[in-house]
Parts: sequence; structure tokens; C-alpha cells
Amino acid sequence: MASYFDEELKSLKNEVLTMATMVEDSISKSLEALKKRDLKIAHEIKEIDKRIDKMEIAIEERCIELIARHQPVGSDLRFLIGAIKMNNDLERMGDHAVNIADCVKFLVEQPRIKPISNIWTMAKIVNEMLKESVDSFIANDAVRAQKVCERDSAVDEMRNEVIRIMLTYMLEEPEKIGSAIQYFLVAKNLERIADLSTNICEDTIYISQARIIKHHIEEEKKNKPV
Amino acid sequence: MIIKTRNLNLFYDKFQALKNVNLEIKENLITALIGPSGCGKSTLLRVFNRMNDLIPKVKITGSIIVDNEDIYSPLCDLIFLRKKVGMVFQRPNAFPLSIFDNVAYGPRVWNITNRKVLEEIVERSLRAVAMFDEVKDILKKSALSLTPERQQRLCIARLLAVEPEILLMDEPCSALDPIATTRIEELLIELKKNYTIIIVTHNMQQAARIADDVGFMLLGELIEFDKAKIIFTNPSDERTFNYISGRFG
Repeated sequence: MASYFDEELKSLKNEVLTMATMVEDSISKSLEALKKRDLKIAHEIKEIDKRIDKMEIAIEERCIELIARHQPVGSDLRFLIGAIKMNNDLERMGDHAVNIADCVKFLVEQPRIKPISNIWTMAKIVNEMLKESVDSFIANDAVRAQKVCERDSAVDEMRNEVIRIMLTYMLEEPEKIGSAIQYFLVAKNLERIADLSTNICEDTIYISQARIIKHHIEEEKKNKPV
Repeated sequence: MIIKTRNLNLFYDKFQALKNVNLEIKENLITALIGPSGCGKSTLLRVFNRMNDLIPKVKITGSIIVDNEDIYSPLCDLIFLRKKVGMVFQRPNAFPLSIFDNVAYGPRVWNITNRKVLEEIVERSLRAVAMFDEVKDILKKSALSLTPERQQRLCIARLLAVEPEILLMDEPCSALDPIATTRIEELLIELKKNYTIIIVTHNMQQAARIADDVGFMLLGELIEFDKAKIIFTNPSDERTFNYISGRFG
């Protein structure tokens, strides 16, 4: 029979999943708004973000209460610490969706520029990374999480590619510098969402295996002279 | 290593209370033994100064080395062993004597009769448990008039008076309130600079707060022994996790 504390942890996990779904929705909508240059959708993002912010506070309070009342140890403690960090990362992702929506508000008033297919490829990969990071957290699957971390450098590379393309556009058509900067900002926000997905995966690996892998700490330890 | 056991088994008649315990206790650390009631942790603690010898039909196999000496060898001097390895119990067991005589009891057993020397030992021992200033004017008063916390401190001072190396503590805070418990825990952290401490506790948070190493016992077996940090964040055995997280026990 599951203990009362187990039930509490399960319910917390569901809340984190609900929040993650809201964040995924917010990011997808912000990209849809960008694609369609749709201000109505862009406005919806602000509303979703308000709900995400409220949920972040509720989850944080719940984690603090569970730590204070149950004094968890072992994987329970690692899960709660991971949930607090993930909660924070998800909320930041929500903010990045708002940033992308803000870019849309600016872009609709600007002349269109040539389509940038790299942004959409990047958005697709970032969406997959976010979904996989949340799924690996829910399934407590370190192997799956590790695979997401490995995709982060590809996204960094794509962002650099977008910047290069934008610079070319700016040089070719200086009147479109404003629009190009907005796309550059979109790429930057997408890249940050990928970083935050990687953070979630690093926390999942810590929760599952008690291994800290961030900042390449394991490689540094291996290479350290004895 | 100040204490080392190899393939230690202990039987109370036909009942096996310790099963093949292999353990290494390091000097100047606090080692906590945790586990559900009846798991053998107090039995293991009592092995280290042969307190189990007092129980009829006890049989022990394997070796227990304390400070490079096999304490179950016929050559072992039991009196010296118990001087070196002292014990504090669950309930403070101050003798119905004055505070001074309680602390001076052990040295007197060791034939120290010079009043001045005894006074020095009593003062040093009471200072070591941060109690001298509180009781220096009432040393002739009965020890039984002290609060439970002070009685427990006095019992520790009584131990220190015979200059032991290892302090065994069998749930030393279980009869104390939380404030007194915190103060005794602070005292133990201070004492580990000069002594090796092994503590049996049912209080998981106490083990987490003060222990450097933790051994988890179950049904007479030492299931897991590791640094407290590892035991409380990433225990390797599922039974350890289930116990420390309150899922059984």
C-alpha cells in the first residue's frame, strides 16, 4: 500500500506535468503566432503565462511544505529538490514564450523578410527537447534524459546559423534590420528554452541516479590528475 | 580504523542476533547505528566493550579488533577494555551520590585518592561536557537533583574521567526533550575531536544531523555502511531507503 507521502509525491508530479503541458502549449502558441503573424494568439500567451506564474508559486509552496513536514531522504529528497528546480525552469520557459509573442507584436508592424527555414527547424527540435525532458522526468528515465542533453549543442549551432543569416539580411536590406533583430531574438529565446530543457534532464539524471552531470563536472573529475 | 569486526556472529542461546557483521569504525568520527527495534544495533554496540558477557548463554564467533587488540582473546584485560571503551545509556544513570563523587567514582576505582588530583579530574571532565560553571558551587549536592539533561551530561563526564578513547552511546537522547537533545548533540560534535563516538539511535534526523558514518542494520545483518551524506541522499540498498524514509520499521 502506498503511503500518504507517496500519494503526495504522486500528486506533486501530476501538478508539475500539468504545468509542463501549459508551458508546451504556450511555446507552441507563440510559434504559431509568429508563423501566422497573429496578434490574437500572441495576446493569449500573456494569459497562459499568468496561470503558469501562479502554478509556479503553488508548486514551490507545496515542495517546501513537503520538505518541512516529511523531512525526506534519498530519492524522495532528490525528487523534491529536482521538482523545485524544474518548476523554476518551466516558469522561465513560459517567460521565453512571452518574449517570442512580444517579437510577433513588433513584427506585424514591420515589412516581411525572406522566410527563415532554420528558425522552424530549430523550433521543432526545441519542442521535441522540451517534450522529451518532461517525459523523461515523469518516467524517471536517465537514459532518455541524457539523449536530450546531447542535442543541446545542435540547437546552439542552429542559433548561430540564424544569426549569420540575419546578418546577411541586414546587410542586404538595411530597412529590414528591425525585423531581422526580432528573428534573432526568437532564435535566442528558443536556444534558452533548449538550455532549460537540458537543465530539466540534468535534474532528472540527478534524481534517478544521484549523478551531477552539469557543467561537465564528471568529465573534469575524470581528467583531473590523481 | 579503531574498531574492526570480521565475520562477527552473536547468538543468544539459539537465537542469532548478529549475522556475519563486517564493520570498520574510524577514529574521531561519530558513527551512528540505525535500524528498527530488535535489529541488533544495541547488541553490536555492547560487543565493543564486551557488555554482552554479562548475559547468559551468549556465544560470539568472528573477530573484533579494538585499537589493534582482539578483545575476545583470553589475553584481553576486561577492566582496561571498559576503561578504554565507555558506555552511556538511554536513561541517565547517575549514581545516588554527590555530583563530585559521581565523576570521581571511576578514578577512585583506578586507585586515585589524592584529593587535589581528583578535583582536577572532576573539573576537567565537567568542563569537557560544558557543565562545570553550572555546578561548581553545588558539587556536593546529590546528582539525582539535576535535570535529566544534566544527569546525562554528568554520566558522560563520569566516562571522560577515566580517559577513554571510544564512547558508546545507546540512544543517549531518547529520554530528553528536543532542546536538551540539541545540546547533547552539540556536545557530541565537540567531543569527537578527542574521542571516537558510536551512537545507537532511533531518531533518523539525529543520525542525519550529527553522524559522519552510518550503518543500517536489519534482522542482525549490517545491510549498508557508508558516509551519512550517501546514506541520506543516495542509499544503495532499497531496504535502507525504505527504513530511512519511514516506509517500514
